[in-house]
Amino acid sequence: MYEDVLYYAVDYGLSQGAVYVEARYHRHRGSEIVVRNGAVVGAGMMSKEGIGVRIVYGGALAFSSTTDLTREGVRKAVDKAVSLARSSKPLVKWVHALSEERVGKSKYEVLVKEDFENVHLEDKVKVLVSAWNELPKVLREAKLASLFEEYVEVVEEKTLVSSDGAHVESKTPRVFYWANMVLTHPQRGTLQRFIELGGSGGYEVFRSWRIRDYLAEEARNIEPVLLKGIEPPREPIDVVVGSEVVGLIVHESAGHPMEADRIWGREAAQAGESYVKPEMIGRERIGNQNATVIDDPTIPGSCGFYLYDDEGVPARPRYIYYKGLINEPLHNRWSAAVFGTSSNAAARAMDFASEPLVRMANTYLEPGDRTFEELIEDVELGVYVKSYMEWNIDDIRWGQRYVGLESYMIRKGELAEPVLYPALEFTTKSFYSSIVAKGKDLRFYAATCGKGEPAQGVPVWAGGPDVRLRRMRVGVAPK
Amino acid sequence: MKEFVLELAKRSVERGVGLGFDDVVAKVVSNEKSMVKVANSQLTVAQSWRAVNLELYLTRGKRIVLVGAPVKGKEDVERIFSRIEDYIKSVSESEMYAPLPEPSGKPLEGLVDPKIIDSMYRSPELIAEVVSAAHGEGAEKAAGTLTLDVERKALATSTGAEFYEEGTSIEVYLRAFYKDSTGHWAYGSRILDMSALKEVGRRAAYYARLVTNVVDVPPGRYDVVLSPLVVGNLMELVASTASAFAVLAGFSMFMKFKRGDVVASEKFSLIDDPLQKSLPGSTGFDDEGVATSTKPIIKEGRFENLLHNSKTAAVMKTESTGNAGLIMPHPWNVVIPAGDFSEEEMIRDVKDGLLITNNWYTRLQNYVEGIFSTVTRDAVYRVSNGEVVGVVRRLRIADTLTNLLKNVVGLSKSVYDVRWWEVGTPSKVPYVLVRNVNITKPTV
Repeated sequence: MYEDVLYYAVDYGLSQGAVYVEARYHRHRGSEIVVRNGAVVGAGMMSKEGIGVRIVYGGALAFSSTTDLTREGVRKAVDKAVSLARSSKPLVKWVHALSEERVGKSKYEVLVKEDFENVHLEDKVKVLVSAWNELPKVLREAKLASLFEEYVEVVEEKTLVSSDGAHVESKTPRVFYWANMVLTHPQRGTLQRFIELGGSGGYEVFRSWRIRDYLAEEARNIEPVLLKGIEPPREPIDVVVGSEVVGLIVHESAGHPMEADRIWGREAAQAGESYVKPEMIGRERIGNQNATVIDDPTIPGSCGFYLYDDEGVPARPRYIYYKGLINEPLHNRWSAAVFGTSSNAAARAMDFASEPLVRMANTYLEPGDRTFEELIEDVELGVYVKSYMEWNIDDIRWGQRYVGLESYMIRKGELAEPVLYPALEFTTKSFYSSIVAKGKDLRFYAATCGKGEPAQGVPVWAGGPDVRLRRMRVGVAPK
Repeated sequence: MKEFVLELAKRSVERGVGLGFDDVVAKVVSNEKSMVKVANSQLTVAQSWRAVNLELYLTRGKRIVLVGAPVKGKEDVERIFSRIEDYIKSVSESEMYAPLPEPSGKPLEGLVDPKIIDSMYRSPELIAEVVSAAHGEGAEKAAGTLTLDVERKALATSTGAEFYEEGTSIEVYLRAFYKDSTGHWAYGSRILDMSALKEVGRRAAYYARLVTNVVDVPPGRYDVVLSPLVVGNLMELVASTASAFAVLAGFSMFMKFKRGDVVASEKFSLIDDPLQKSLPGSTGFDDEGVATSTKPIIKEGRFENLLHNSKTAAVMKTESTGNAGLIMPHPWNVVIPAGDFSEEEMIRDVKDGLLITNNWYTRLQNYVEGIFSTVTRDAVYRVSNGEVVGVVRRLRIADTLTNLLKNVVGLSKSVYDVRWWEVGTPSKVPYVLVRNVNITKPTV
């Protein structure tokens, strides 16, 4: 769409002296429903549509965007980018360039089985409301204090053209669901569970989640934690981490520190730097043979799905850590030029008003060969952390903390009583060096990954198998 | 531009009323914005944006529909309305519906600094001054951003509001590097004040260089001095959970409290202040056209006010506080009144503790109980017997918000206008001394 305007922007930018021009028409159209305690709060329709222009001019990189989709509108956007690039001179100490790549000329679309527009709004509302009615039936002593739900469907469409020949059109529908569940008990206080689901595709994806049953199982499983959860033992114990937590860990401690722009320092004042230094890539180990982490944009149905990135480079899986080796950072064409290598198609822009940054897509720990029973069968005393609420990691992606929500003691090889708020606090190296066994089931979880200034949130999947770690000390969150 | 955005808002309301909607709110916002970003003391990207967006609120028979879309003119308004007729028929009645209130707002004047408008495409030169100030204070390199914004906001409602407000803002933050240490500072205001900008560079470098010998701190409970950046981050969280919608949605520590309950030290007050004109959140009317006002969320330790729009107020049987958000009320500006400590006295008062100058990644295990942790970044200093004795590498505050608020023992006389990546709500806050804060770090 708007191809003539996009090519005009490229030609006009070149005529003004830019050595590279990229113009991206980018539209999000969607709708949302907000439900609280089984009653609709409201519904909404949203649309974001515009053109983003990025140029390399006089050694500077500049970006400008506009919602005016006429030639006049993009001409002004290019003029502003040129103007900013010109006044950037005092701080441009080296010439910005993008790596040479074979960029694509392509058009692709995520096909849906059930178009969002063919499902009546009332049917979608029924699904959301049903959870509120169902949950009290599965709770024994606790009460459901609050259930907040949000459903979002959105279709993302892009047309990217650039002065070095890229022309990529794409259409990706996605659906998301968020829920915040608060259980309460007069003597035991409250317990909170936040759920995020997402994928690319049509309404069939939402249907497949079976929301009512999903929430009922969550409520059934976390109620005992509120009612009977004990503190974890203070001595070092074996730890089994569920795939939901593993996905988060690899996103935070493998994906983020291996973003090449972060390694160089481009995000130093925002999301931070990285423990990884350029000289460590391909040389140093961060873990054992079990530590293989892959980021793959091409997984069908995933939140982070794409076939060409926002610089026109064809997507492929990236082996971030390979058998413990710090292996392959994520690159866009800017960072690839800085590092003297090639892009591996990690450039993503949140919307038309965003510059393409180095981003993850779908990051996961390579699975192993154990069943869950085999993972825990010889654990004499341990803790199993299946899900989480609180987490964070420092700005070089080294020291991190995950506080368990649904968690259990493991006694003599079997799951035992629930545990309240076990806190795992370890370094990146200690985690990847501590994996002693991995489950064979690979599961993915949806998330919105934040980075950049202005902050850009992009949809991703994070996943992995359940893993067993060697003994460590487990803390507890303050109450 | 004033006429353009106001006409679009009025036209949207006329169209909505003409189509038989019960309540109509149209907010049209035009932003012209530029930003420069530096890293390793080099400019990495210069950006600019220009956008006009319409936010539309429509009700019919207690059904609520919100629409957000970019607009270029009346034809876009027509196109939006052509899609809504069918859509709203299938929306269920809202449990939170309340009729729009009568407009009582009055646009604020004096929110524009012409220097910001004039400098819109000179932002690279401005940040060069900030970086230079950091180098002048001894920094080896620096990273940060500087953003300039001109916002023109028009609001029209079916109850008769026709308001227009124009404001500028600047946000600048810098991280200064010295050997293995870093310091960070930030400034957010409606006014381009070159001395404040240079102070960002100087103070960031000062904290990067204060002391450089690394000392170890075992996990435990310590007295801590929190810088305005840390206070801004944590109190933005507290203020946002004072939104009545957050209470209704299960995202608030205030679910457990009623007005008058002690939730903090009596030395501590937390105010939502939309009338503080120097802060970029200042405005004279909310998104329903209601007059904004200065109000304490916490007053001298006691919980005083939730933040309401007409809908949350109806659910909780109270009055709007002028904090709409058409669905979710929100704070405009966070203000914490100054105390009586000088910054030096605050440090001298700490026998065994820490000065934490910056943090990020604040996450909660449980909003209702306020169980949270946040990671320190940049300089953390060990304080022993009132002296800064060493720099500490990354730690974590892991505690509850109520513990933190109740253990406040002192606030600085000086307050700072801060806004940056981790403090989104404009804030005017002091340094705060808190006793007995739980500090953790990796055990393996």
